[in-house]
Amino acid sequence: MNLKNICSLVALTAGLIGFAQAGTNAQQASGNIPDITGSWERARDPSIPAQSQPPLKAQYLKEWQAKMQAIREANAKGQPIAERVVSCLPDGMPGMMAGPFPMEVLQSKGQVTIIQEAYTQVRRILLDHPAKTVDDVEPGFYGFSVGHWDKGTLTVDTIGVREDVTYQNVPHSKDMHIKERFSLGSNGLLLDEITIEDPTHLEKPWTFTFGFRRMADYQLLEYICEDNREYADEKGVQQIRIPSNTR
Amino acid sequence: MTFSTRLQCALLVVLSLSGTVEAHHSFAVYDHTKSLTLKGTVTRWQWSNPHAYLDIDVKDSSGAIKHYTLEGTSINMLQRVGWRSNMIKAGDEVTAVTAPLLNGEPGGLLLEITLANGEKKELPVPAANTFKRTPEP
Repeated sequence: MNLKNICSLVALTAGLIGFAQAGTNAQQASGNIPDITGSWERARDPSIPAQSQPPLKAQYLKEWQAKMQAIREANAKGQPIAERVVSCLPDGMPGMMAGPFPMEVLQSKGQVTIIQEAYTQVRRILLDHPAKTVDDVEPGFYGFSVGHWDKGTLTVDTIGVREDVTYQNVPHSKDMHIKERFSLGSNGLLLDEITIEDPTHLEKPWTFTFGFRRMADYQLLEYICEDNREYADEKGVQQIRIPSNTR
Repeated sequence: MTFSTRLQCALLVVLSLSGTVEAHHSFAVYDHTKSLTLKGTVTRWQWSNPHAYLDIDVKDSSGAIKHYTLEGTSINMLQRVGWRSNMIKAGDEVTAVTAPLLNGEPGGLLLEITLANGEKKELPVPAANTFKRTPEP
């Protein structure tokens, strides 16, 4: 292949890529699918209501309040109860959406992918994909998510989150649904309205919203959890490994 | 906007967010009521997540050496405010301002460090203002 042919091929390829990108943008514009691809970080905003207490059923609410009180007392004593992250376990859903590290959203054909920088957590939202039942999904940290765009809002339903993967220690059953509505606010914030549905544990659905601010020039950094010197002792208290006291 | 100004802005953003967005790890094992300043020789600078760790040997007035383990923040947070892994290396003489471990063990939370080249750097510790700086005895 001579130089002229190579140049023609490069130009053709570049043209095709440009055409494909233009097609995607046109599709997004005409189909009311906003461009949410990019890096985002958790942001507070007066337009976002404060998170309410989980509407747990009485027996679970009592246990949850006792656990939260125990956490506060342990912290006050300087003997914090070790969270799972101390053992390098990720948050899972919906905790990974809470930050505090940046996240990246990727829109591709048939899928929206969300990568949380902390612990390199990845969730995949399959677009216009048949739903499954809980019995069809192996329990995991992120569950199985399907979604669709409707008038600029991405509606997502997630099932199959492990019962030991909790957000703010709120218990749930294997039948929990995490329903989300992603949209762009008028102030440019990406909003993720999350509704937890779990009739086994909750009196009514629990809804709260996370807001995210776009990070125009940020590329997510590598995050590997390794050799953490924090550890949980035999009582479940977080300690620091001290290699040696004196030399 | 200069690079330095951008770094300061980034630090402010991290600090302002840190008080409101949930942190992953508890720093309750450290004393919030007093600080401890340590001058010593770096034996290891562990550039890792979830947190960085700094090991230093500190010589007391009698010449005895005590080894301290100091916990830092996530290296991702450090990178976002301009830190690099090669800023500290074994053998460096540094001064570390720490919040000491409540249990009396030789360790602490690293709040601020004066590097071997004299540069002073704070760490983007979540809710850093809750750790009181006290004069050295």
